Amino acid sequence: MNKEDGRKSVLVIGGGIAGIQASLDLANMGFKVYLVEKSPSIGGRMAQLDKTFPTNDCAMCILAPKMIEANSHPNIELLTYSEVEEISGGIGKFRVRVKKKASFVDRSKCTGCGLCQEKCPWKVDSEFELGLGKRGVIYIPFAQAIPRVATIDKEHCVYLLKGKCRACEKVCSAKAIDFEQKDEHIELRVGAIIVASGLGLYDITSLTEYGYRKIKNVITAIEFERLTAASGPTMGELRRPSDGRTPENIAFVQCVGSRDFRNKAYCSSVCCMHATKEAMLAFEHHPGTKSTIFYMDMRAVGKRFQEYVARAKKEYDVTYVRGRPGRIEVDPENDNPIIWYEETISGRVMSFEAELVVLAQAMIPQITKEFADILGIELNEDGFVKVPDKLAQPLDTTKPGIFACGYVHSPRDIPDSVTQASGAAGRAAEEIASLGSRGGE
Amino acid sequence: MEEKDLSNPRMGVFICRCGINIGAYVNVPDLVEYAKQLANVVHAEHNLFTCSEEGISAIKRGIKEHNLNRVLVASCTPRTHEPLFRAACEEAGLNKYLFEFVNIRDQCSWVHMHEPEKATAKAKDLIRMGLAKARLLQPLAEIEMKVAPAALVIGGGVVGMEAALNLANQGFDVHLVEKESELGGLLRSINKLFPANKEAVKLFKPLGEEVMNHPKIKTHLSSEVKQVTGFIGNFNVTLDGKSEDNQVTVGTIVVAVGAEPLKPIGQYGYGKMANVITQLELEERMKKGEPVGQNLVMINCVGARVPERTYCSRICCMTAIKNAFLTKESNPKAKVWILHRDLMTYGVDFEDYYRKTMELGVRFIRYSLERPPEVVGEGKLERIKVYHELWRREIELPCDTLVLTTPLVPAEGNQNISRMLKVSLDEFGFLLEAHLKLRPVEFAMDGIYICGSARWPTDVTEGISQAYAAASKAAGPLRMGFVKAEAINAFVDEDECSGCGICEVLCSFQAIELQDRDGKRVSHVNEAVCKGCGTCGAACPSGAISMHHFTDEQILAQVQALFS
Amino acid sequence: MNLEDIIKQTKTYYCLECGKCTSICPVSRHNSNFSPRLMLERALMDSEGELVHDRELFSCLTCYACSDLCPSEVDYPVFTQKVRSLASGQGEHGDCAHSGVLFSLMRLTAHSGIKQKRLDWLDGCRTTQRSEVLYFVGCAPYFEPVFEDIEVSPVNIARNSIKILNALGIEPMLLPNERCCGHDLLWTGDVETFKKLAHINAEMIKESGARKIVFSCPEGYRTFKIDYPQYVKLDCEPVHITELLAQNLSRLPLQPRVKQEGISPEVRKVTYQDPCRLGRHLGIYEPPREIIKAIPGIELVEMEHSGGESICCGTSVWTNCSSYSKEIRIERLSEAKATGAEVLVTTCPKCQIHFKCAMVDKGAEKGPDIKMGVTDLVNLVANAMETRE
Repeated sequence: MNKEDGRKSVLVIGGGIAGIQASLDLANMGFKVYLVEKSPSIGGRMAQLDKTFPTNDCAMCILAPKMIEANSHPNIELLTYSEVEEISGGIGKFRVRVKKKASFVDRSKCTGCGLCQEKCPWKVDSEFELGLGKRGVIYIPFAQAIPRVATIDKEHCVYLLKGKCRACEKVCSAKAIDFEQKDEHIELRVGAIIVASGLGLYDITSLTEYGYRKIKNVITAIEFERLTAASGPTMGELRRPSDGRTPENIAFVQCVGSRDFRNKAYCSSVCCMHATKEAMLAFEHHPGTKSTIFYMDMRAVGKRFQEYVARAKKEYDVTYVRGRPGRIEVDPENDNPIIWYEETISGRVMSFEAELVVLAQAMIPQITKEFADILGIELNEDGFVKVPDKLAQPLDTTKPGIFACGYVHSPRDIPDSVTQASGAAGRAAEEIASLGSRGGE
Repeated sequence: MEEKDLSNPRMGVFICRCGINIGAYVNVPDLVEYAKQLANVVHAEHNLFTCSEEGISAIKRGIKEHNLNRVLVASCTPRTHEPLFRAACEEAGLNKYLFEFVNIRDQCSWVHMHEPEKATAKAKDLIRMGLAKARLLQPLAEIEMKVAPAALVIGGGVVGMEAALNLANQGFDVHLVEKESELGGLLRSINKLFPANKEAVKLFKPLGEEVMNHPKIKTHLSSEVKQVTGFIGNFNVTLDGKSEDNQVTVGTIVVAVGAEPLKPIGQYGYGKMANVITQLELEERMKKGEPVGQNLVMINCVGARVPERTYCSRICCMTAIKNAFLTKESNPKAKVWILHRDLMTYGVDFEDYYRKTMELGVRFIRYSLERPPEVVGEGKLERIKVYHELWRREIELPCDTLVLTTPLVPAEGNQNISRMLKVSLDEFGFLLEAHLKLRPVEFAMDGIYICGSARWPTDVTEGISQAYAAASKAAGPLRMGFVKAEAINAFVDEDECSGCGICEVLCSFQAIELQDRDGKRVSHVNEAVCKGCGTCGAACPSGAISMHHFTDEQILAQVQALFS
Repeated sequence: MNLEDIIKQTKTYYCLECGKCTSICPVSRHNSNFSPRLMLERALMDSEGELVHDRELFSCLTCYACSDLCPSEVDYPVFTQKVRSLASGQGEHGDCAHSGVLFSLMRLTAHSGIKQKRLDWLDGCRTTQRSEVLYFVGCAPYFEPVFEDIEVSPVNIARNSIKILNALGIEPMLLPNERCCGHDLLWTGDVETFKKLAHINAEMIKESGARKIVFSCPEGYRTFKIDYPQYVKLDCEPVHITELLAQNLSRLPLQPRVKQEGISPEVRKVTYQDPCRLGRHLGIYEPPREIIKAIPGIELVEMEHSGGESICCGTSVWTNCSSYSKEIRIERLSEAKATGAEVLVTTCPKCQIHFKCAMVDKGAEKGPDIKMGVTDLVNLVANAMETRE
């Protein structure tokens, strides 16, 4: 590839909604886009959600068309189950080495029929289902996965580890299983890079006062989403972990790990809204469900958010209690969590018994220091991408030619991530064009 | 695309289970069997998710294997998925207008969840009706239109300037129209910007210079847009005579007209008592170096999050906190109180700034809507009485300057913009985007984009991101050089047309006009502008106007199918 | 130091008024007049008068349950301590239990000229005049007569501690004119007297040449470790006896239980109360547990709230001891009983005193059965050792 090609291409790291949007905008502007995603499918966090606020649109229903568009766009090349290993060069002429991990399935032959995952005798926790459900060791991560091809997880494959099984190979009518497959390394030349690696989940097990992983019926918000999602492990039936009963009295506890100097000092920004949404979903699934949200400040700042909260109060019987619980205990008779809190408006110390507690787990940027070093960009002390001058160039990183968008940039919801993604695309286009006009690069 | 024999309909039916959204309430396998025995149906199947890669492949495979020349998908809503299935048809070699969408989710399974048998029966009716139309579908061609290689940006504030610069740096000609005599917008009145506490002038002045000196940007100061006609790729814009160019033609338009801070006349003595000011007025004093008082009380949510104006203006908490911080920083002995009803310091920087403001000694008091603060003083500001909601008592704070934190409200000119560009306003008067979640910087009207506080209150950082986003969308058609017009539009049978002109009057898009044909006046549709809304078709007394893809025959066939 | 300084030093300005502190506070749970958040509100709203003159200022147990969870890392106990010093300056002291006799004794020892005779209980212990290791006795000799009627012997703890040190080959030295460490005075706001005590003690310790000071009392330990360095120079290392023992478990000759006062020889299950000063104040949770587990024939069962979640014994610095304090103790002892343990083991003489007091002082109420053995860990260990002369 010569230098000219580099300037017509952009690398997008991360196949969530932000990465997909940035890719589409760049592709529509005529750029060739390499969309690298380290899991087997694009879709990211949004694919795990049931509905999205404030419209209560079904998340997959509005995401799928974009995923399909990204897959079929002539200017976009999807590199799923791949990771960026090394980057050199600079704006206009980055050289990127990408490792396409061996999936042991020939993608050109795989039809995505799913028979292999049904027949695989070894089941492990599904990452997509956050451990609430299982998947085969050969698997398609979720029903609407793109590309819809199977992947063998070499960490758990009994054949690759011990030389036994090969059940998938026996049932595959397309003869797509290839245990000899190796990692492939390719080199790309791109003019700019957009980092959109998304949102991670902060491990709140150490916040022992909340009883997460000790008390069965205390779950996190994103686990709740998987329980209400139609494609989830319970087929959309909201059932509580201890006994499978539908909870009729749910408590949502906000700021678990966020706005907390001992954990994450910042505000994760989307939890006030997702708790409201989840309370509404619970009611929709089971009318008459009572939800109580324990909060400090109700941060409903986006467009139509205040009205959404008002609707939750009026039509969905959601009560908002201002107080940050100090401890969650459990009644051993019925496994009901009991929340100890001060109702700060009245000043009373009270306990609240719920059938299910949903914790608004703090969210973190999904990027490691090691990967930032590979890219040559800096992270700030909370691990978000460092932006040298937020007021002048809000989407720039500390390295020219590399831009960031979405949660890895700063805490934000889907509309703001989509906006930033388009913005990053615009910024990349502008910078690449400027190179040409500055001449001689 | 290879020529297909369309006279003999060979119809394929793809019914989606949509996970459990449809499948749990409607007997989908039953629907498949039903469809198979209807006339002209040569293939029917069901999919778990027709929109998934598997489903799309199934459609393409079905078209090829069964030589289909009409495709019907019964699934969710065309609003989100029609382009997807149409593209699948095209990729398999079938003209995309030979595709019919039947909604058995929003219009069937979702609303009849508790009556599965009736829902299934209704779904059968809907599919039968869809097939009746599909039999009569004809291939249609989209028109390609050239795009004028220039963009218009309305609004010369920071957001408008950044959008203009982004487009200009990409190599496009940009016309930037600003109604004031200088660039900068609201930032001209702002002192410093959070969270970096940077002086606003250090941001907008250099930007303004860059804009004025940019070879690709033509700036029209003290000008307003008077009229816009045309359509994406070809907007004819008339400016009001104050600038040299009176008429410009652009391919795309970016609206960045901003918003205005509310002046809370009649509240808390504003307009009557001295030293009762808004945050913006405080900024102006601070910029000029004027004294701001020793005992400041700020009241947040004045005129926002109230029954008359329910929204939260997003940026005001930070504005108040910033001004409080700056006050304490320059005058540590001053006392500053912020009265609020939730503090919206979301994210990393804002929460951090909030904590730093606490370190300086600014105190925060939560009050409620039911018991708002009161001004105490005979004609002169003395104290503020407030019920401290978390301390459960009424307190009085000495006050020599009362700062009211008010929301941004839609700019006066929004009504005009809405009319001129044929874009919608929301219930508050802000400009309305195409889709709140997935198309936040676009209007429903093609070729026009929105960014900044004109759509929703935003701070500078987010506004600039939006400016880049709008610019990148606006650049798309400019780069491609052409756009395609949807083929679902009106067409006139000139022989039948009586030249009455009702259609021309009724069209909200100005897409139809009477023209001369050898002395006879007949209607002519500009297919590029026509949105296919059907108003003219319904109104035409001669029946001369038909809608492509929604002809009378097709619609009547559906009605007949329902009752058969 | 004024209120504004206290706010800055303890980071009170960061308070988000979330109520997490109040929701977890054992006092707030029973006494609706008290709330940590309420106290902070007053400080933030410049209501100093109300703050220092409220009796409830002295109800806080300074147990750190709140600050351990505080998302703003407000140091509420230190806030309380410092506001109490403002209050003390305005004549407020809270309600002092036992007619103030204990405080009088503490203050007496602050006189530089006082001479005490406080080492008569040393029989069976080997001590020496000069050693690198100093054993700090604390107020044990003075508590002994006051709490005899509830069958608590702080002197026994001291004696057993020295015997254990002896078994480890250590012959500690003792200060014959040792002064009160000053903990209770510091935490009730009498900083001046505290400083006097600190200076006198520091001087004596310097002259003694000690390099290490061993404590059985966690309050003395905390005071020397955290508070003294702010006022005096100490060139030696304070250590709690459980830390020392945990490091030397293999060298302790531990035998299965033999008969000891008030505790039957068949004891198998014990439970452990983390004292606030050892646990949340200093982070020492494991060493006492390691020791208990090392004693043959003893099984440790944990209470529902243990370690960092441990609940205070209900009274701090002998002040504002009330019916609420008793309610807290009953709650805690019920938890102890619920484990099925026969003995409640602790590593703080005050915890022992307060729990025994609740058992003895049940009065006419019917209530849960909270009678059980209460003893100090060093007693358990000493009893399990092969005591040799």
